[in-house]
Amino acid sequence: MSIAGARVEMRYGTAAAIAAIAIAVGASSPQARQAGTASQPKGSTINIPFEEYKLPNGLRVILSPDRTTPTVAVNVWYHVGSKNEEVGRTGFAHLFEHVMFTGSGNVAYGTHDKYTEGVGGSNNGTTDNDRTLYYETIPSNFLENSLWLESDRMGFLLDALDIAKLNAQRDIVKNERRQGVDNQPYGRADEIIVEALYPKGHPYSWDVIGSMKDLSAASEEDVKNFFRLYYAPNNAILTIVGDFDAAQAKQWVGKYFAEIPSGKPITRPTIAPATLTGTTRLVYEDRVPLPRLYIVWPTVGEKHADHFALEVLGPILSGARTARLTKALVYDKQAAASVTARQNTSEDVGQFGVTLSPRPGHTLTDLETEVYAIIERLKTEGPTPQELQGATAGEELGFLNNLQSNLGKSTTLADGAGYHDDPGYFKIDFEKRRSVTADEVKRAAARYLGEGRVVLSIVPQGKVDQAARPADSRKVTGGEEK
Amino acid sequence: MRRVTSMVAVVALLSVAAPFAQQLDRRKVPPAGKPPVLQVPTWTTMKLSNGAQLLVSERKALPLVSFTISFYGGANQFERPGRVGIASLTAAMMREGTRTRDGEALSQALQLLGTNVNINVGGESGSISFLSTTEKFPATLDILADMLLNPTFPTPALERLRAQRLVALTQSQAQPNAIGNRVFSRVLYGAEHPMGRDVTEATIKAVTTDDVASFHKDYFKPGRAIVTVIGDVDAATVKGTIEKALAAWTGGGGKPSFAYPALPAGKPTAIYLVDKPGAAQSVFNIGIPGPPRNTPDYMALQVMNFILGGHFQSRLNANIREEKGYSYGVNSGFSYGKGPGPFRAGGDVVSEKTDLALIEFMKELKGIQGEKPITDEELQMAKETMVQRLPGQFASVSQIGSSITGLMLQDLPADYYQNYAKNVQAISKEDVVRAAKKYVDLEHLNIIIVGDRKSIEEPLKKTGIAPIVILDGEGNPKQ
Repeated sequence: MSIAGARVEMRYGTAAAIAAIAIAVGASSPQARQAGTASQPKGSTINIPFEEYKLPNGLRVILSPDRTTPTVAVNVWYHVGSKNEEVGRTGFAHLFEHVMFTGSGNVAYGTHDKYTEGVGGSNNGTTDNDRTLYYETIPSNFLENSLWLESDRMGFLLDALDIAKLNAQRDIVKNERRQGVDNQPYGRADEIIVEALYPKGHPYSWDVIGSMKDLSAASEEDVKNFFRLYYAPNNAILTIVGDFDAAQAKQWVGKYFAEIPSGKPITRPTIAPATLTGTTRLVYEDRVPLPRLYIVWPTVGEKHADHFALEVLGPILSGARTARLTKALVYDKQAAASVTARQNTSEDVGQFGVTLSPRPGHTLTDLETEVYAIIERLKTEGPTPQELQGATAGEELGFLNNLQSNLGKSTTLADGAGYHDDPGYFKIDFEKRRSVTADEVKRAAARYLGEGRVVLSIVPQGKVDQAARPADSRKVTGGEEK
Repeated sequence: MRRVTSMVAVVALLSVAAPFAQQLDRRKVPPAGKPPVLQVPTWTTMKLSNGAQLLVSERKALPLVSFTISFYGGANQFERPGRVGIASLTAAMMREGTRTRDGEALSQALQLLGTNVNINVGGESGSISFLSTTEKFPATLDILADMLLNPTFPTPALERLRAQRLVALTQSQAQPNAIGNRVFSRVLYGAEHPMGRDVTEATIKAVTTDDVASFHKDYFKPGRAIVTVIGDVDAATVKGTIEKALAAWTGGGGKPSFAYPALPAGKPTAIYLVDKPGAAQSVFNIGIPGPPRNTPDYMALQVMNFILGGHFQSRLNANIREEKGYSYGVNSGFSYGKGPGPFRAGGDVVSEKTDLALIEFMKELKGIQGEKPITDEELQMAKETMVQRLPGQFASVSQIGSSITGLMLQDLPADYYQNYAKNVQAISKEDVVRAAKKYVDLEHLNIIIVGDRKSIEEPLKKTGIAPIVILDGEGNPKQ
């Protein structure tokens, strides 16, 4: 289950397929550099050797050979997501992602699948609030082919664009929305929450999938403008990981990508995090058999140091049966069937969310009160050393496990380059996460988990009385179809 | 916000076309290089003193170990009819405490090791497993052994799990895909067949701690177990480590019988409609009981299914999603095992196109049986993909483990992967059509649709494809 802001939308399939792609990413020099074991503390397992360089047109290239498996992951990361959409065009970045699979100037529709999945590989695309990425894993003898495919849609997408293609993908994306949102119990929670969490017009105030109305409004002209600004080499990172020869890869990268001209510089205004002064209480009636409670606080994003403490706070509150909310509500009081608490970190903003399913006989109102009491205690006493240790004990295993996937590694490197201007940011990320102190967790809880929050009750139709504090809650309708 | 508005203005100003002269002849498809040589991992087969098989495969590139104990047989072989769900409940109860560690202590110890022990019992096999760093391997193995051998099954834990499962069951009764799966199994196999039985409120309420203890005792036996250790270990010494950790695990057992009761007689093709008022989409599950994994037609069926609904540009998805836009994705596949696992085609379709989507599903199911001849390109691509995709099955230690264990559980030969390409390449167009005709019986197809009856029933009737039977969410007839 995703909590506000966590949703990613893909060309097909589910987001679980790329669950490995979690490590976010510092600031450093943009020149060519090599990273490898030399800069590592002896024996550290936290390493992905890579080299990087830039083409004159601004395309950033990261190479990381690894001969373990005879496949190569090609990953093209564009710094554009739903936050770059205009008001009235929500869902457009993701719809655009779909259009990128409909063929380009020299690559007919279907060719992309033919030379990826059709030769034993796979391909997909994924869009979130901040970035859109396209990737394929292919048998290593198809690397040149993949570079040809990716360069053609970066350089020549518009040569093959027509309204019929856009309309076809629009229908598919609307079905993606129906499948993931409208036809799912509790499926509208995310979009209701972000709309309440951020001021009107804020770039994070809509969900990645967008509204049906806005999806209907997207035009061919929108596609052209979006492509010309955001799908230029100076806004992209090409990462190649797996079984290949670096010198050969560089030659092919030059051959296929160097002639694509730079786009115009992109202005990236500072996006302010949301602040709420009081509690916004909402209730939504859905086709669900049981109520569910969502409590979400606006926090900070990837560029703010506090996100580490908030990410550590998540497993201190839920997950293991000794985690505070889990222990108290699921095990000791047995008032909840399940509870999750986690920080979601986007590039500019973050949200900390708690989601609860009550056991019969327990009200959302009581559960909400219990949650606050437990969090207040944590704000006073802070986590124990053991809680702190447990919260990050799985980080090394998670990192090592990701190293077994060429695609997972490519995304780790590209996210580092894209968000922190350093493909090797995963080391900093790992260290910072592991060195979060009890005091930092305590302060983060005190600073962010206060009165400024959104409390959403999703209740069965006609059962508004099952909401947390129903008399104080405002009814919302959610993004109904049509 | 002002800032956002100004960003939008910048976007608009900069959207100016910048055509450029293209130097490279991009029409030319780059030639593929020489295909990589298939490298199948090797493994050592041993036997533990308690009778369990031990498979070890070294891979030292990373300090990781994948450890799994797999069991022949699952819920279909070991659950009594009135105790459906006991297998899964027992697996959950094994996390609730041992003679020396209570549930909290187990959870905390695993969290500090940075890993988790997973216990699953599926239809025809089960497993208890973990992935750990090399350093934490011995300590994690010790906890796994404790959970396997010394669980205490405390009554209060069963009551809590029971209550949680009742909530989950209620939630799933509102989830259209969960309804679709449940009714699909019921219609295909009937309530008496292990593949048609399902967890109900009654079965959840019936389970006692004695049931749990006796399921545990009967099921988790070394004589039907395969212990698989993959990764940063030494094949020569790991056996000693495992013998020591599992020293108290004795008690025989053997492969269960995989004989299934006879299937109910095939019913003439019908549409089974489950009403979900106001649903935005109709959930399709179209299918029929299928052959076991050891069918000689396996490879032909795999090629057939790849073409029909086994990849993105498969006939079903290319037509119903890409061309018509009725769905976010449709597919098809077989669930092979020892028994008659189903063939199933389906996906979620926008309500107003339910009838048209069904027409297209039927067209493709008929097409693959000869009406729409298989092209050379389709056949070639299916075979190439199946062959070239194999190395990806050995990318991680966990994948290697399940690839090797899968051979054992399905009684396939040890050189299966070495001969795989040859066996795939032998399949002809005639093989594909013959397999489709034999296993996708259009006269006895079960078409289960969960959707908004009010808007879809009439259009479905008008297709004339098959009579409509209305069922409730449990698969029982309704008017």
